[in-house]
Amino acid sequence: MSDTPLVPPSSVVLVSGGSRGLGLAIVTDLLDAGMKVAAFARTVTPELAKLADAYPDRAHVGAVDVTDPPAVQAFLRAAEERLGPVDGLVNNAAVGQDSMHTHTSNADIARIVETNLTAPLQLTRLVVRRMLGGGRRGRIVNITSICAQRGFPGLVAYSATKGGMDAATRSLARELGGRMLVNAVAPGFFASEMSAVLGSTQLDQIVRRTPTGHLTEPDEVVPVVRMLLREHTNINGQVLVVDGAASV
Amino acid sequence: MNELSRAHIRDLMSQVLANQGRVLPDDDAADLREIGFRSLDFSELALRVEDATGEELNFDAPGLRRIATVGDVLDFLETLQRQ
Repeated sequence: MSDTPLVPPSSVVLVSGGSRGLGLAIVTDLLDAGMKVAAFARTVTPELAKLADAYPDRAHVGAVDVTDPPAVQAFLRAAEERLGPVDGLVNNAAVGQDSMHTHTSNADIARIVETNLTAPLQLTRLVVRRMLGGGRRGRIVNITSICAQRGFPGLVAYSATKGGMDAATRSLARELGGRMLVNAVAPGFFASEMSAVLGSTQLDQIVRRTPTGHLTEPDEVVPVVRMLLREHTNINGQVLVVDGAASV
Repeated sequence: MNELSRAHIRDLMSQVLANQGRVLPDDDAADLREIGFRSLDFSELALRVEDATGEELNFDAPGLRRIATVGDVLDFLETLQRQ
């Protein structure tokens, strides 16, 4: 057996985009599981503020734009002063897309790439530098999407960024040589997202094609994220798809 | 901005359909599904309008999904040019 020590379960986790949807569900779950969580988003929603009030000793939240590296760094430092050294990262912050590539402005493409690819790579770099510099081991979970593996109209730039994060997940797992576990979770479309853009007929059609008979819910993704942060599994450099086999 | 008239846009729409052997009905209420005018045809039309005006026309898909008739197409592109 190798003498490489196991990567311990994360105890202080930084979550980007933690104010609503899946990000908020992840923050809630990790806090409920007894972990310390530092969560930021462009705006702190009442739901996230309520969590911070409920867990004053274990939650640190702030309004930070993930595309603003100095602000992110300041938030991380403040969070570590309050909660202790971060040993887990969930890259969840992202912007969506719903436009044909032909008619998506160059500025919008740049914004999607900056938020969904550049910013999480920079945040990962920041967190990894602090963990390595402090001699710590840790875990990283990138929230990507089924769009990284399957084609969907109206999501060209978004899919490219998610595919980029899937690729980065694999390379980072290799690069970090077992001192950190790096994985991605790729949810299928959430019912709430789909209902916003599709009619009931189209929704019914997608559900019929999904073997489990329903679209993915955030509550079904959360345990997978927690498992990657907490359990000893030897899963590393993988993308775990959570979509009820809709894409299989 | 060099804005195209509704009639000019209609003419371009007619050309898009003519390239596929189809005819654009005179009636603005004509259903796009019945005349076979699909989302990529709309995209081609928008690009032809761009080419004529020299201005990019970018838009999100939700607005496109509400378009059901020939008149909707003309309304959408007229409005888009003014934004």
